[in-house]
Amino acid sequence: MNDFNAVRDIPILLGAFFVLTAAIGLVRFPDLYSRLHASSKLITLGSAGIFIGVGLEFAQTEALSRLAAVLLFQFLTTPLSAYLIAQAAYLRGLKPLLEGPDEWNALGKAALLDERLEETGGG
Amino acid sequence: MRGLSLNILLAIVWTLFVGEFSLRELAIGVLLGFAILSIFPLSLGTGGYVRRTLALVRFGLFFVRELTVANVQVALWALLPHPPLHPMIIAYPLRLRGDNAQTVLAATITLMPGSVAMGFNPERTVLYAHTIGLGTVPEARASLKKVEDALLPLYGQGAVQSGPLEDTA
Repeated sequence: MNDFNAVRDIPILLGAFFVLTAAIGLVRFPDLYSRLHASSKLITLGSAGIFIGVGLEFAQTEALSRLAAVLLFQFLTTPLSAYLIAQAAYLRGLKPLLEGPDEWNALGKAALLDERLEETGGG
Repeated sequence: MRGLSLNILLAIVWTLFVGEFSLRELAIGVLLGFAILSIFPLSLGTGGYVRRTLALVRFGLFFVRELTVANVQVALWALLPHPPLHPMIIAYPLRLRGDNAQTVLAATITLMPGSVAMGFNPERTVLYAHTIGLGTVPEARASLKKVEDALLPLYGQGAVQSGPLEDTA
């Protein structure tokens, strides 16, 4: 434990803390939509912290360029998957627990989802 | 495009002067080249490029700050015994136009405090988002508007549509 390196270990510890709270949030939040807040935001910054710590440990061009690529794709893909999960669950009719209005008002309208899939050629 | 290619060209010229082609020297070259482009915007015709790049840097700083706030907030709620979630689904009338701009907006909103993007209407003029801990509907809209305001300078006037946003003020 003597070789504590602040530049390397603080990002890793912070990242591990956020990933842990993400896991706790996933269990404790009331419904899928609230849980997505924990899994999208906390996992993004948490894993970014761990990656940054590991990248700084090596501090070489090869490690840092891969770190940049990993971070870029992490930030691109996590919000997209959260978006798709929320949209699919809602349009297939998974009821959200709300304390406010539902201004979309399209719960269970799977036709919207199918139209969009046909538009983009998916299925 | 002209500004970006000039910037890359100047970076390559810098690595030739230094005589060492590495990521580090290339980065220094990009920074020095950017300084030259911003000092002589009129003769080089790079004013727009410099403005957009500075807007990108400003957006990056805004993004990192808000992402940190969002994470501390959700982490706190995950640990509190009775988190004040107050979940809602709100409709946000968009001013940004264009697929790229709206994709970036939806992705950013998902990483910002309290909101997860859920969908667009078929006309792509309204964004639907699930929000937690953002208070009333106008407050939640104002929070999304902050993100959109930070993105607007990146996409210029062509991507802007004046819409009915008076109720968000």
